[in-house]
Amino acid sequence: MLMQILKDVAVVSGISTLLAVVLIIAQKYLSDYGICKINLNKKRDVSVEGGSSLLNSLAEEQIFLPSACGGRGSCGTCKCKVNSGGGPLLPTEKPFLSKTELADNVRLACQVKVKSDMEINVPESIFNIRRFQAKVHEIIDYTYDIKGITLKLVSPDTIDFQAGQFVQIESQAYAKIKQKVVRAYSISSKPQDNDRIQLIIRLVPEGICTTWIHKYLEEGSDVTFTGPYGDFYIRDTEADIIFVAGGSGKAPMKSMLEDLQVKGTTRKMTYFFGARTAKDLYLTDEMRSFEQVFSDFKYEPVLSKPAPEDKWKGKTGFVMPYFQDAIRDPKNTEAYLCGSPGMINAVKKSLIAMGVPDDKIYYDSFG
Amino acid sequence: MEISSFVLFWAAIFTSNILLTNFLGMCSYLSVSKEIESSFGLGVAVAFVLTITSGLNWIVYHLILVPLGLVYLQFIVFIIVIAAFVQLLELLVERYTPALYYTLGIFLPLITVNCAIFGVSLFMVIRDYSFVQSMAFGAGSGIGWLLAILMLAGIRAKLKERLVPIGLQGAGISLIITGIMALAFIGFSGIVNVQ
Amino acid sequence: MKKSPLEIKILSKMQPGEITLNGFLGEDSRDLYDIIAEDERTLETLGVSANELADKMQYFTDKSSDSFMDSVEIDEIFIVDTEVVRGKLPCPFSHPGIYRKTITTLTNKKYNITIRWTALNIHLIKEHHFFEGKNSAFRLDPQVLLKALFA
Repeated sequence: MLMQILKDVAVVSGISTLLAVVLIIAQKYLSDYGICKINLNKKRDVSVEGGSSLLNSLAEEQIFLPSACGGRGSCGTCKCKVNSGGGPLLPTEKPFLSKTELADNVRLACQVKVKSDMEINVPESIFNIRRFQAKVHEIIDYTYDIKGITLKLVSPDTIDFQAGQFVQIESQAYAKIKQKVVRAYSISSKPQDNDRIQLIIRLVPEGICTTWIHKYLEEGSDVTFTGPYGDFYIRDTEADIIFVAGGSGKAPMKSMLEDLQVKGTTRKMTYFFGARTAKDLYLTDEMRSFEQVFSDFKYEPVLSKPAPEDKWKGKTGFVMPYFQDAIRDPKNTEAYLCGSPGMINAVKKSLIAMGVPDDKIYYDSFG
Repeated sequence: MEISSFVLFWAAIFTSNILLTNFLGMCSYLSVSKEIESSFGLGVAVAFVLTITSGLNWIVYHLILVPLGLVYLQFIVFIIVIAAFVQLLELLVERYTPALYYTLGIFLPLITVNCAIFGVSLFMVIRDYSFVQSMAFGAGSGIGWLLAILMLAGIRAKLKERLVPIGLQGAGISLIITGIMALAFIGFSGIVNVQ
Repeated sequence: MKKSPLEIKILSKMQPGEITLNGFLGEDSRDLYDIIAEDERTLETLGVSANELADKMQYFTDKSSDSFMDSVEIDEIFIVDTEVVRGKLPCPFSHPGIYRKTITTLTNKKYNITIRWTALNIHLIKEHHFFEGKNSAFRLDPQVLLKALFA
């Protein structure tokens, strides 16, 4: 009897052990990708432990691709060109890639796993991207739903960016919100103040991160962000400039103008700011004061729907009809736009109709 | 049992469909049949695992359990083999066909607890199939299961547009549909009988 | 009925703080399937399909998004205004694709009803017949929706 029991136990354990050993060996062989070399832009090699996602592997090497969802494959911002070693395209990536991107080997870095040596292309500017710890230095209420937040850097203690670029803030868990989210905001302060950044943030209804910033941040709070990102910055030419901004799109323009103030310029510049009513206007005096700073600068706020109590005497309606007066030579005009995709599209269309070259229209869409 | 593997294969699909005559594997059949696409993914995975595990279990049963006189351990041993195989399959699929891995997603580990898989291994023992017969029966049952879940998913897709009495929504109407499908499949049973 | 893994996944994505601040379910403790089923029954009695509602909503959103900083008047009784804010939202049912954060506000002058919806709402109604749970911030009652959308 005892022998029988022992035999049963032995056989079951034996079979289980055998299978477990097979699995362990398989796992060791199948899941170990060893050290993989990732070649960036044919210039630089980084060696990473295989098996993790490309996004995370690069982040460990302090190379930060923009990512808004934290690698869950839902935002589609961590695109990069994978020339070799990326494996087949996954169904999770397809919805985010256009036909040209597909043909161009563009992939989502959070979905591609590093399993062999790879060769990828990333924008040069991302090598500058770092992860920063900062403290809230000052909070200013610009309008009923727009705040200006100044962050003082803790570590690293300086940032090198171009006026017009943006950073990504990581919100912490609060109230019912149990996880961090990552959201992008443009820097509104000048690059010369390299120990701090200012952001202009509008409260988005039901927004997880903006609610955190508006309701939970106070002076002295800790904030983590990565950056700088983006290729929206003033091109160094002598062409005339038209700035067009709407809502919180004022942030990059403020940074650009303050930057130009330090560097000095004689370019002809006109700044159109589109808002609905007078209560959506902010920083008007600061923007107006630039008219004294530059030799040829004009700030033009345009209200689409001024309320009767606003007693608005300025320009009304859409911003586009007023461009004509600001453009001397369309071929020698650059346009910098920041606002909602609807605004960008309408403004872009109208500028092209007026003869401004397509490739001289630069924009940062909220998209 | 003298029955050709070829006949057994077709019989397992139609006349003794594992799902529609034995009602095995109902759990995932009911819960994953909402969309044709995912039903197909799961169906293919089940068919594959069924084929391989019936072969593996045949080997384990006839080469280990029978000689040692431990046939009463078959339940526990079969389950262990199925679980281990699914695990191994998951590793292999992830490594070599990541696209398929993402399509199958959670369905792969779910297969471990699919009773159709276990049922086929037990039938193979009861009916005393040979190795080749077991594989044919496993493959046939798998394809039969795939066929059944695809049919249900198709019908449920049509049903989405229609109004179903509250008490019957979800599992209720699905079971009724399955019953009618089973009745229809009885029509095949005159052709060949392997039960 | 036992909840399938898919259902559990969907429900978890509808919780506050997953995709939106307050989630999609509001104070509704019913089964996801029941929420959808009840609205589907309402649709049946009203004699309108979710598709028709979604198409009409899309029509208003499209019409008003051309005019990016002002409301537009459509067919004399609708005042529609679409606002786009930064960011995109994924579908809680894990459908591929992401939806821009557009908020369309529509006022029906005839009945004096104002409703608002997002691009994601249109998708949820069209593809999933999901009008959100009771008292959710973007709950759209099919009855009110029908009255507001069709003069």
